[in-house]
Amino acid sequence: MSRRQASLQRPTTDLPVLIAPSAGSTGRTAGRDSGCGAPPRLAYWHGFLLLAALLLSAGVAEAQSEPGRAGILETMIKWTPLLFEGFLFNILISFMAMAIGTVAGGFLGIWQISLLPSVRRGSWLVTQFFRNAPWLVLLFFCMFLLPFQIEIFGLVVPLPDWLKATFGLALPVMANVSEIVRGAIQSLPSGQWESAESLAFTRRQTLWMIILPQCVKRMLPPWMNLYAILTMATVLASVVGVSEVMTLTGEVLSAEGGRTDLLVPFYSYILVWFFIYCYPIARWTVYLERRFAVNA
Amino acid sequence: MTRMMQGLLLAGVLALGLSAGDAQADLAAAKERGKLIVGVKADYKPYGYRDPSGAIVGIEPDLAKDVADKLGLELELVPVVSSNRMQFLEQGKIDLMIATMTDRPDRREVVWIVEPNYYSSGTNVLASKKVGFKQWEDLRDKPICGIQGAFYNKKTQTEYGAEIVAFKGTAEVLTALKQGRCLGFVYDDSFIVSKLGDDEWADFEMPLPTIDDAPWGLAVQLGDQAFHDIMHEMIVNWHKSGRIIELEKKYGVNNTPFALAMHEKHKNM
Repeated sequence: MSRRQASLQRPTTDLPVLIAPSAGSTGRTAGRDSGCGAPPRLAYWHGFLLLAALLLSAGVAEAQSEPGRAGILETMIKWTPLLFEGFLFNILISFMAMAIGTVAGGFLGIWQISLLPSVRRGSWLVTQFFRNAPWLVLLFFCMFLLPFQIEIFGLVVPLPDWLKATFGLALPVMANVSEIVRGAIQSLPSGQWESAESLAFTRRQTLWMIILPQCVKRMLPPWMNLYAILTMATVLASVVGVSEVMTLTGEVLSAEGGRTDLLVPFYSYILVWFFIYCYPIARWTVYLERRFAVNA
Repeated sequence: MTRMMQGLLLAGVLALGLSAGDAQADLAAAKERGKLIVGVKADYKPYGYRDPSGAIVGIEPDLAKDVADKLGLELELVPVVSSNRMQFLEQGKIDLMIATMTDRPDRREVVWIVEPNYYSSGTNVLASKKVGFKQWEDLRDKPICGIQGAFYNKKTQTEYGAEIVAFKGTAEVLTALKQGRCLGFVYDDSFIVSKLGDDEWADFEMPLPTIDDAPWGLAVQLGDQAFHDIMHEMIVNWHKSGRIIELEKKYGVNNTPFALAMHEKHKNM
């Protein structure tokens, strides 16, 4: 049934944004898009397919389960509030890690083009180190290196696990943002620097008033991509015991007595949530990419 | 300048790491806080699991509540897993650990396991009747599922030559077992007995003699004499009053021989 629904949805996807880009419609970006065929893009009906797969797995499991037990959907609904709390926790971790990573990465990226060789090399080293380290390893590092509480001037500040996980995830975000910033700055034509110099702007003024404002547009799409990746990476925190949605799902499955028929439907359910959250971000990124490409 | 800042940051992180080692969370700290923090399992029904509201319930959380009531403190339960429970206690993140931990000599060097033991279980294997295991030696070179951090994984591997496939939780293991990714599941016998009561597992059996019938220990930080003494008294009282047996009944577990024997032993003391 859901499959038919999905196919019925197709005509409604006939929005301007979903039309495959052609050389003519994208104006100045023609050089970028023409030549290769339009790649397949995620569309709403993909979400429906996913939902259909979930319902199917739940349905199959439902048919297999014995009559004496609570149904799969019933069980899912029972645990939804708890799982949703866990999911919000993932979102919170992703927000905070992104905020910390962006601020730190922004400075690191600017330092990468510093005129002082030591600053430039130092920030390059830090960027490369964290960009090429596996996320999970960094997460473990933060979990076991940071104490559970710190004492600042006699004041005991607790460092809960989720906060440590947030720092752990912020590190690779920082390194990636640093590269995004550096790349955006270097992608601007050198004429921008030269004309600013001829107007007697100092280097700092040039950077803050001329270069960076132009970079924001270029940085936004990759930055949002990074955010979507980070959000999906927050489930890594389950490996280090943070009570986020994956951990809770495991605990819920145990609380249901390790019923094997619940495993796939529950994990699919979580998958659908992440899709619903991340998909609009992907759409918005595409929209911004196009918009800025035309105006640039 | 950046270098120096990095150096400072690194030094800071290291200093924090070092100062974490001597964090104290003894009874005095708990009293000062007004709250007793107990580490329990959240993925091991019926000893510790979540209810739909998210609260952790089960036999061990009930025992933790007894302790908090006795001390007149509020109770906070922290979910732990086998691989981090001793670390949490050592770090002082939890004051007390009641987390289905088997009492082993090497663990006694890290945390203070309070005597007498409050519970006990042995190790056995859940396997399909078709496989027909007869003795532990039959496991040689066979894929056997286990839970990450359980001590008998190693033993099953080194002594009986099984190939351990370790998973995070029981739900994952049971699914893997059903899908035939492993031939058996090495785990606590009390859990296996409870599974066998389920129609879903009618084709399965617990074919081997239970080994390592080992007691479970709850633990406090090394050196916390006052708390140790209180906990010793608590456990004796639990056995004396039949509290453990009562909790087993409450959560639908068959009374274990250990709980019955301990009650017999202590009730007239």
